[in-house]
Amino acid sequence: MSAIVDAVRSALGEAVLGADAGFGSTTLDVAPARWADAARAARDAGATYFDMLAAYDLEADGFAVVAHLSRPDAADHLLLRTRVDRDAPQVPTLVEVYAGAAWHEREAHEMLGVSFAGHEPLAPLLLDPSAPATPLRKDVLLVARPSTPWPGDKDPADSTGRPRRRTPPPGVPADRPREGA
Amino acid sequence: MTAAPGPGGTSLGLPTLGPPSRPAPLRLELAWGGRDLVVHLLEAGLACCTLEVMAAALGSTGARERGSLPVEPGAAVEVLVVSGTVTAALAPLLRDLRDRLGDVRVVSFGACAATGGPYWDSYAVLPGAGGLVDVDVVVPGCPPPPETLLEALALLGAQS
Amino acid sequence: MTGRPARARGVIGLVEERCTVCMLCVRECPDWCIDIDSHVETLPPDEEHRRPRSVNVLDGFAIDYALCMYCGICVEVCPFDALHWAPTATYAESSAAALVHGRDRLGAWEADVVDQPPLDARAVVVDPGPRAR
Repeated sequence: MSAIVDAVRSALGEAVLGADAGFGSTTLDVAPARWADAARAARDAGATYFDMLAAYDLEADGFAVVAHLSRPDAADHLLLRTRVDRDAPQVPTLVEVYAGAAWHEREAHEMLGVSFAGHEPLAPLLLDPSAPATPLRKDVLLVARPSTPWPGDKDPADSTGRPRRRTPPPGVPADRPREGA
Repeated sequence: MTAAPGPGGTSLGLPTLGPPSRPAPLRLELAWGGRDLVVHLLEAGLACCTLEVMAAALGSTGARERGSLPVEPGAAVEVLVVSGTVTAALAPLLRDLRDRLGDVRVVSFGACAATGGPYWDSYAVLPGAGGLVDVDVVVPGCPPPPETLLEALALLGAQS
Repeated sequence: MTGRPARARGVIGLVEERCTVCMLCVRECPDWCIDIDSHVETLPPDEEHRRPRSVNVLDGFAIDYALCMYCGICVEVCPFDALHWAPTATYAESSAAALVHGRDRLGAWEADVVDQPPLDARAVVVDPGPRAR
């Protein structure tokens, strides 16, 4: 019963790849090429409040980009989502539809390396120049924990002092080698 | 640092900092353990711990303090309270603020300001304010309840 | 004490006699702020035990309260109920290093542990299941 959802469906037709109605709100999965068209259809149907845009790492499946668009009175809203491949992570920009998307796109680019065609340059927004590039990608690991001695490596029953356990410390992925371990 | 204008003529660059204003501390009149204290306190509120310091300064903690009043900008600051996570991006500002205050005692409030707290491993976080400024009292907590600020001020009084 | 709520997470006390050095609290702490030192001793047979036994002996138990984020995972995970919350919150120091507290201070804080009030009548209690003790 959502005018916004209906407007996006009728504008995109087969480019709506899927829908999810979990937790009482609708998520529409759309083809990346029609990303801006979907946002424009939502906006023109009353979703004039751009709440947020974010990207997240799907590893082998690439990246997902999700945007939350809403009527200002929150009587109707939509989660718009698309997926792009890892070797070509790009979607069209939304800044022509919602100027406020600019900072969100800059953050998504800075944190995950997703680019937004038509919004160049995607200038850095938050990170200190000394920070690692695209730090929110799952293959970019924090160095601090694997390189710090973990108190949990001690084991009273092991007289050699080397860890018997193979469960990793909190914050260190299981497949990440640790110094001294 | 500003960004180039975006499409449609919208330029959404980063805010730039204006000239520093004169810090306007809060004047706290406190009673603690039978002693009366008057303190001019400035808070560098960086994250969630800010709310607990505010609660203490605004008298929400109940029995002990008798309230706080803002004083004119430019009044001497006696205590700088660093509350919250010290991010790499804000570190130069914190350092600059402390240097401008001259002779001031520094209280670090909460786990993040003490050691980086839960974020000690982050590339974007300094492991505590102590590497950036000299700290006189370290208050543990995540967050410390408001009354711990009063204890910290009493400790400062005992140190001098 | 300050009249804080009985369930307030102020500081963690240790009942040393119950600690078996299972190391669960150390390993589950997300901040890595618990440090335990120990060794193994072999006790000779006696009237109750006919064979020699190995026991873990606690040498040191330290919590770095400058790192602690008061999540309570250590208190919950301890299988022997050796760690407890106490509402005491005023223990500021002159340096972060001075906030690393060992077994003596942790044991002393047990005196601050207060009885928990009964749950609200409308509370929903989730049965954690049988524990193998």
